[in-house]
Amino acid sequence: MGAWIADVLIVVGLAVMTLGVYGILRFPDVYTRLHASGKASFLGVSLLLVAGTVGGGPSAAARVLLIVVLLALTTPVAAHAIAQAAYHRRERMRTAGAVDESGRCPGATTTPSRDLGA
Amino acid sequence: MFFAGIAWLTVLLGVAVVSVGRARTTAERLVALDTAVLMLIGLLGLVAAQSRRTYALDAALILALLSFVSTVAASRYLGDRRPFTEPEEEDP
Repeated sequence: MGAWIADVLIVVGLAVMTLGVYGILRFPDVYTRLHASGKASFLGVSLLLVAGTVGGGPSAAARVLLIVVLLALTTPVAAHAIAQAAYHRRERMRTAGAVDESGRCPGATTTPSRDLGA
Repeated sequence: MFFAGIAWLTVLLGVAVVSVGRARTTAERLVALDTAVLMLIGLLGLVAAQSRRTYALDAALILALLSFVSTVAASRYLGDRRPFTEPEEEDP
């Protein structure tokens, strides 16, 4: 019964991590790539780590809990730091319909329009 | 099942490392490197579960801490050319 839960967690975690890597390959600029990296990769890693503790003892479960709590605290901070650095360096926004109201980054419009991605 | 997971995650790690090399700007490189390290953490977790040892999880914990510190320091350096700003010399 326990192995069944572990298999489901591994399959779901691998699917989520595959989506994260696909987003990193396919999204056009940093700001959208952070979207795939920050959420999908963290969720996939958490599912994989939890899947490893299903048949294991309490020592593995304690370590996995520590790692997952630590990643949940640090991944958004790291993603914010990367986004802040890219914004300070005025990196180009390549997404269609990107809006930057300060007009700081090239490639984005300063006012949001009704038809996105036109 | 753990073997298939390890194999597929190794392929994903290879793709993430290739995307580190293919990134156009340094910030994109940082994003790809962060994802590659997260995949390495997941790979260590699967190896620990498959071999029923916990020392790979210790390595994963250290890797998570190190990845966070290195990413924040590198992006702070990328943003305003020094890793840590002091509050009194923030803006003249």
